[in-house]
Amino acid sequence: MSKLMDWVIRENELLQEKIFYTTLHPGLALYVLPKKGYNKKYAIFSTRFGSIDNRFRITGKGIAEEISVPDGVAHFLEHKLFDDEEGNVFDRFAAYGASTNAFTSFTHTTYLFSCTDFFPENFDLLLEFVQHPYFTEESVAKEQGIIQQEIRMYEDNPQWRVYFNLLGILYRNHPVRNDIAGSVESIGRITKDILYKCYETFYHPLNMAIFVTGDVSPEQVGNQVAGSLARRTFTPLKSIERIYHPENASVVQQKIVQELSVSQPLVNIGFKDPYHYLEGRELLCRELAAEILLEMIFGRSEPLYNSLYEDGLIDENFSAGYVAELTYGYTLLGGETRDPEELHARIMAGIAEIRKKGLNRDAFYRHRRKMQGEFLRSFNSLEFIANNYLSNRFREIDFFDIFSVLGEISLSTVEGLLEDHFKEELHAISVINPIQRKQ
Amino acid sequence: MVPLRVEKKTLPGQIDLYVIPTNKFKTVLITVLIRQFLSRELASKTALLPAVMERGSRDYPTYRDLMIRLEELYGAGLSSDVLKKGEKHVLSFSLEVINDLYAPGGELLRQGISVLHSVLNQPLLENGAFKHEYVEQEKEQLAKEIKGFVNDKLNYALERCIQEMCDKEPFGVFKYGSVEELAKITPRDLYAYYEQILTENPMDIYIVGEVEPDVAFGLVGEAFGHRDGQRRREIPPDTVQNIPAEVRYHEERMPVSQGKLSLGYRTNTAYRDDDYAALLFYNGVLGGFPHSKLFQNVREKASLAYFAFSRLEKHKGIQLISSGIEVENYERALEIIMEQVKNIKKGEISGEEMENTRRGLINQFKVVADSPYSMLNLSLDGLLGGKDEGLDYFLRKLAEIEVDDVVAVANKVYLDTIYFLRAEEEANV
Repeated sequence: MSKLMDWVIRENELLQEKIFYTTLHPGLALYVLPKKGYNKKYAIFSTRFGSIDNRFRITGKGIAEEISVPDGVAHFLEHKLFDDEEGNVFDRFAAYGASTNAFTSFTHTTYLFSCTDFFPENFDLLLEFVQHPYFTEESVAKEQGIIQQEIRMYEDNPQWRVYFNLLGILYRNHPVRNDIAGSVESIGRITKDILYKCYETFYHPLNMAIFVTGDVSPEQVGNQVAGSLARRTFTPLKSIERIYHPENASVVQQKIVQELSVSQPLVNIGFKDPYHYLEGRELLCRELAAEILLEMIFGRSEPLYNSLYEDGLIDENFSAGYVAELTYGYTLLGGETRDPEELHARIMAGIAEIRKKGLNRDAFYRHRRKMQGEFLRSFNSLEFIANNYLSNRFREIDFFDIFSVLGEISLSTVEGLLEDHFKEELHAISVINPIQRKQ
Repeated sequence: MVPLRVEKKTLPGQIDLYVIPTNKFKTVLITVLIRQFLSRELASKTALLPAVMERGSRDYPTYRDLMIRLEELYGAGLSSDVLKKGEKHVLSFSLEVINDLYAPGGELLRQGISVLHSVLNQPLLENGAFKHEYVEQEKEQLAKEIKGFVNDKLNYALERCIQEMCDKEPFGVFKYGSVEELAKITPRDLYAYYEQILTENPMDIYIVGEVEPDVAFGLVGEAFGHRDGQRRREIPPDTVQNIPAEVRYHEERMPVSQGKLSLGYRTNTAYRDDDYAALLFYNGVLGGFPHSKLFQNVREKASLAYFAFSRLEKHKGIQLISSGIEVENYERALEIIMEQVKNIKKGEISGEEMENTRRGLINQFKVVADSPYSMLNLSLDGLLGGKDEGLDYFLRKLAEIEVDDVVAVANKVYLDTIYFLRAEEEANV
C-alpha cells in the first residue's frame, strides 16, 4: 500500500457534498466526489488542449520556436488515442460493461467512461489509454476517412453551420473562428509526427486533470492514479505558451447568409466581449452577471420573449447565453424564425428599450434565485458535475463557488454590463435560409 | 444494489399514483401521464393540448404569470410534451422542484404541485372554450415544428423510414400529427377533447425523490383527487406480428452533403414476450454499442461512416438501422450491414460479443436507478407494454441469455423497408 495521500477536503453545506482534491507527481490534479447510493461511476481525464491551441511555443532553455499545426488536430488526436497496437480501446471497456467516449471543445479534450461494475478495471483502462499514444501512417489515413464523414455530417447540420458561420465573422484572428474538427483539407495535412508532437506537449500530467464521481473511495482512486503515474517516466514540462494573434475590437463583417435544406430560416446573433484575458473569480463574475442580464432581457418571464413568441418570430427553443473563456467571450442569441430581419430589429430595439427603462429590482432577485435553483438541480447528474467541475477548474474557477458567487452579484454590476455590452460595432448576425430553387 | 421501492395508491377518479422514494436526488419530480391511442385523426389534437395548457391557466392566465411563479419557486422546471410509445400517445406534464431539504424554509413541493394542478385541472377558458389566441398561436408553432422536422437529417431519415414502412398502421403517424389535421382544430373542439381525455383516459401520476410516500399521497390527493370519472377507455396493444412479403425501397433527394441510409426491420417480438430480453441482446450484438458488428465493420473496418447503429422501437417490435455515408458507397454499406444481420442469424456471435453485450446491457439497466426520468420511463414502459416487471426482472433475464436465444430471436427478424436520403444530381440543382 502506498502512503496516505494529502487530500484537501472541501465540504459544501448547502449542496451536502464533499470533494477530495490532491496533486500527484509530476503535477496531475485529481478530484474525487463520492456519491453514495449511485450505481453509476463516472470518470473523466481531461487535458487543456482544444481546437484553439493550434499555435504554440514551448519555452524553456534554448530557442523557443513557434509551432503551428493544422486545424482539427486536437480532435484528430482524440480519435486516434482510441487505437493502439492491440486494436480498439472500445472493446476493452466493453468487456467490463463500460461505455467510453471523448469530446473535444475549443479549449480542452476530455476522455470519459461510465460503468456500474468493474470500476477499478475500467479506471485502469482509462489511465492506460490516455497515457499511451500509438500513431502509424496507416491508422492516420484510416481515421481521415472517418473524420471526413463526421465533417460532412456537420455540413448538413444547420445549427452547427449557423453557429460556426457566426464565429467566423465575429472573430478576425482568434482560432475560435475555426471548426473544431478542422476541414477536409486541414485534416489531410495531419501526420503521425504532428500527432506525437502535440501529444508530448499537451498530454503532460501538469496540463491535465482527472475527476471521478460515484460510489467510490478517494483513497482507492488515488492509489490507482499514483500507481499508474509511477510506472512512467516524464520529462519536466517546460511551459506552454499559446499564441493568439491580437483580436481586433471589431468584427469581420456584420452579416453572413448561407442556404441549406431547412424548413425556415435559422438565426444566430453574437455580441463580442472585447476582453483579451480574464480568469478566476473575475471571469466567473462576468459570466454570471451576463447570464443574469440575458435572463432579465430575454427570459421567458420577460415581455420581450413573450411578444416575440406571440408574434411567431421565435419558438420555445430560442436561446440566449454567454460564453466566457480565458481568451474570448461573447453573447449568443439564436433560434428558428420566419423573418430574420424583423427578429434582429426587434431584438436590437428590445435592448435599447431596456437600456432606457432600466432594470427592475424584483426581477433581478427572481432571476438570480432561479439560477441558484438550476445550479442545485444540476447536481442530480454525475456527468454534469464532473464535466463542469473540470472545465471551470481550467478557467481557475471552483465550480462549488457558483451558488455563493451568484448571491454576491449585485444589480449595479448587471446594470454596468447592460451599458458596456451589446455594442453595435461588436455584433454580427448569421442566417441560414431555405434553398431558393431556380425555376 | 438496492432494489427500487415503488409505492402505489389509487386516488378517486381512478388515478394511479406511484411514489418512488430515493434520497439520491436534490429534486423531487412529479409527472402526470395520460395515455391515448395513436391515430391519424387525433395525433395533432393530442399534441396541441399540452402546448395550449402550458400557455396559461385560471390562476396564471398568461405564460409570463406562470413563468414568474416558477422562477419564484427556485426555478422549478415545468415541461409538457407528447411521447410516442409504440402505437400509444402519452401526454406528459412534469414539474421538478428543489427538494425542501435543500431549500430551507421552502414549501416548494406543495407549491409546485399546486402549479401543476392549476395547469392540468383549471385551464384558462374564454366563452366555454380554450382561449382563441393561445390556440391559434400554438397551432402555428406546432405547424412549424412539423415542417421543421426535415432540418434534422438523421432523425428525419429514420422517421421517414417508419412512415413508409407503417403507411397502413397507426405507428406510421408522426407524433405531432399533420399540418392538415392541425388546421381543422377549433378552440371549442380542443376543449371538448380536453374534458374527454382528462376524465376517460388512463391517468398515472409519479413522484420520484426523497419524500415520505404518505406525505406524497396526501399532497397529490389534495390536488388531484377530486375528479370523478370512469377511466374505462381501453388502449389496445400494438400489432407486432408482421412478415413482409417483400422488401420495399424508397429514396428521397435533397440538397445534402451526406447520404442517410435507414433500414426498418420487423422483429415479431413484443415487449411483453419472454424473448424480449433476447431481442435486446440481438440489437446489442448488431448495433447498440461501439463493440457491435455495425460500428466495427461499417466504421472501424471499412471506414465508410462516422456513425452506424441500430435501435429498437420496443413497443412496436421494430428495429431501425441508421448510417451516414457518401452516396456512392450505398451498395457497399448496404452489403456490409446485411452481412452482419445474416451472420447473427447463422449464429456467428463470438463469446466476447455475447459477454460484452451482456455487460453493456446490464450497465444500461443499472443506471436507470440513477436518474428520476429514467426510472419513470422504465415504469411507463411496463405499464404500456403489459409487463410491469421492473429492473430486477431485466437484470435476472439478461444474466441468463445464451447464443441460441439470440439466434432464435434473430431468425424472427425480417427486413421490411430501405429508405435512402441522398443528394440531388448536380444537373437538377
